[in-house]
Amino acid sequence: MGVSVIFSSLTFLFAYLPVTLALYFLVPLRWRNWVLLVVSLFFYGWGEPVYILIMFLSILIDYTHGMLVEKYRSDDRKARWFVTQSVIFNLLLLGFFKYWDFLAANLSLIPGVQIPQFGIPLPIGISFFTFQTMSYTIDVYRQDAPVQRDMVKFGAFVTMFPQLIAGPIVQYKTVAAALEHRVNTTEDFARGAGRFTVGLAKKVLLANSIGALWEECLAAQAAGTLTAVSGWLGLLAFGFQIYFDFSGYSDMAIGLGYMFGFRFNENFRYPYLAASVSEFWRRWHMSLTGWFRDYLYIPLGGNRHGTAKTLRNLFLVWFCTGFWHGASWNFVLWGMYFFLWFLLERYLLRGVLERTPDAVKHFYTLVVVFVGWGIFAMEDLRVCGRYLAACFGGAPLWTAADGFRLRSYAVTFLVLILASTTLGKDAWEKAPEKARRVLMPLLMLLGLMVCTAYLVDGSYNPFLYFRF
Amino acid sequence: MTKQYSRFLTVCFCLFLGGLLLWHIVLPDRDRSEVENRTLAQVPQFSWGALVDGSYTAAVEEYFADQFPLRDGWTGLKARAEQLIGKELFNGVYLCGDTLISKVEVPADGQVDKALSYVMRLSEKTEIPVYLGLIPTAAEIWKNKLPAGAESWDQMQLLEAAEATGLPAVDFESALAAHAGEEIFYRTDHHWTTLGAFYGANALLESLGQTPLSQSDFTPEVVSRDFNGTLYSTSGIHWLTPDTMEFWAKEDGLSITSWRTGEARPGMLYDRSYLEKKDKYSAFLGGNQPLCVIRNEALPEGEKLLLVRDSYSDALAPLLAGRFAEIHLVDLRYYRLPLAQYAAENGIDRIAVLYSVQNFLTDQNLVLLAQ
Repeated sequence: MGVSVIFSSLTFLFAYLPVTLALYFLVPLRWRNWVLLVVSLFFYGWGEPVYILIMFLSILIDYTHGMLVEKYRSDDRKARWFVTQSVIFNLLLLGFFKYWDFLAANLSLIPGVQIPQFGIPLPIGISFFTFQTMSYTIDVYRQDAPVQRDMVKFGAFVTMFPQLIAGPIVQYKTVAAALEHRVNTTEDFARGAGRFTVGLAKKVLLANSIGALWEECLAAQAAGTLTAVSGWLGLLAFGFQIYFDFSGYSDMAIGLGYMFGFRFNENFRYPYLAASVSEFWRRWHMSLTGWFRDYLYIPLGGNRHGTAKTLRNLFLVWFCTGFWHGASWNFVLWGMYFFLWFLLERYLLRGVLERTPDAVKHFYTLVVVFVGWGIFAMEDLRVCGRYLAACFGGAPLWTAADGFRLRSYAVTFLVLILASTTLGKDAWEKAPEKARRVLMPLLMLLGLMVCTAYLVDGSYNPFLYFRF
Repeated sequence: MTKQYSRFLTVCFCLFLGGLLLWHIVLPDRDRSEVENRTLAQVPQFSWGALVDGSYTAAVEEYFADQFPLRDGWTGLKARAEQLIGKELFNGVYLCGDTLISKVEVPADGQVDKALSYVMRLSEKTEIPVYLGLIPTAAEIWKNKLPAGAESWDQMQLLEAAEATGLPAVDFESALAAHAGEEIFYRTDHHWTTLGAFYGANALLESLGQTPLSQSDFTPEVVSRDFNGTLYSTSGIHWLTPDTMEFWAKEDGLSITSWRTGEARPGMLYDRSYLEKKDKYSAFLGGNQPLCVIRNEALPEGEKLLLVRDSYSDALAPLLAGRFAEIHLVDLRYYRLPLAQYAAENGIDRIAVLYSVQNFLTDQNLVLLAQ
């Protein structure tokens, strides 16, 4: 698989982005959607040029179906049929590229069944953009959004590079108005640039650094030297890595959105401050949970048709949430794990949690979530089982190597913990206006410089959400 | 935010991104990086085929990163930032006070046995006695300098496995460990110093049954106080005092032949032109080459020794030259004829396979010993 322009690459930051910004702001207003479409296609094609075809196909099919739904508005049966067609097309696209090999491998375990596997590389961001385009036809059908008659504008929505490959999942209705008419202000641009820099620093300085510790712990597990302490350090490391990686990416997307005149919804709200598992999920990857709520849970009836149906609906949502994260059993298990905790909290623990002190509730939530990251991170369930066993006493407590790890990552952990809370933000907002005005450009330039240094050094720059 | 202030922030952001882009464009492309000791990627050739299979865009990314302005400066800034937050491992190199020590990774399963078996096969193929000398790296000899709890693979495992093969061994480990308090490794490079190589030479002579050398046989000469080695480059730690490099042996009475391009050319014991460059260690015998022969005209009746080399032997061989009629250094990475045959044709008396532990565990060419 080729490399792709990810936001945290030198080519993106110092070639693609300045050229794109220059083009975008030099052309007259009426051409800006054109520019956005062309640069986005370029962005997408960079990693896997052939897959631009998927983009064209997606634009063409969803555009046509949107028009058809609108045309047959008065004939609900037909309109429904066109919405269904569009949903089926998107699910087939996702199913073929993402799930075929997994399904084939598992079905082939049945004696007498032989299904070929193709091993096709996953088109980047397919899990995100198929969900976005599905939301479009559904929104048009539900009259939550107006139909888009201009194919360029629609294409710009489908391919919009800031959120194309790692979210947030932008529902059509949130950008419909901005596609028609948007105001670019310097204030927005400056705000966007700041937000982008914050996201870049989260990704490059925090997520990548702590990710190296997770790799180390995983290697220790393979070598049989994992201790209980390093086991937990590893889970912490992975949990922080995925949060700062993903939320950093969302910050960059939101920041770029501001620069180009779009407002995307927030995707994270300090998830590690949650006091229950259900609350965690109201703060984590909100554009995905929101999508499943609006387009799966509520259409299925939500909680309005008795306990049995509610349970079924919840099961489906959690199953899909897990499976959406990757075509592998551990993701399914991860979804089921949270399904169980969700049920427990909803039906059994509610009373208990109400009487529990806050500190305990936070601790309990974090343990559940970070053990969950263990299931998420290790595709091989046997490895995962052994790893978690080590965390819970199946290994020596501590060796000298753990001291080295703790020393090496102490400051990083401190920063990660602080950055997971609102302390930094609160302090910033309380700081006198004058101090902020002086600090802001300095911090921005310092952030950009240090990120550049890490990227140039660049021995370690994997991106976790490529599987999605 | 006022409009004016927003404009200022916008300019900062755009100037940083756009400025570096302009700098990148204006800056002439470099062919190679001295610090990284490698050739740098150049503007790739466009072809539709390469675009479709993704190799074109990959090449552009590589080019863009390789030719990035101030590449070495950025790496140094990263290392400084890492030091500030308490890191002790920098791209696989431990910072141990004023010394850099490369971490030895756990070898792949079966790698130790496989590598040793190739040496065994060589000794079975030839009548000439084959000695095996594995040179432990600083991570072993200076392990008490490593930060507390720092991991590095236990090299004694390899040395014990080597001993268990029954091949006559050169005990570099004891020789170096006995002088661990001295400057036997460079602080910024992974090689041994000339002093380290001197103790190594005596370890080799001892296992060959010869009397040891004395330091008074040589006239040490400091040739550089400005040597920043490979660990300086990989770690990004650019703030340590550079190493001092010494040449000990004299070229009088020696004739050196280098086969760099397949043809015999006169070589040098110490190629001083490298002292002006970053890669100063290559001054020893002029660096990597497929084959190098050192003849000692004063000792025509002496033994002929074949060294299967890695770069550690380059500092070693000049010290040994006075004791042998001929020393042949063969590098398996570049020399592709059967070794046993070469030894027979050149009347070699003994073969010594000399590798640093690190290279012995990772070199893919050891298999050629067995051909």
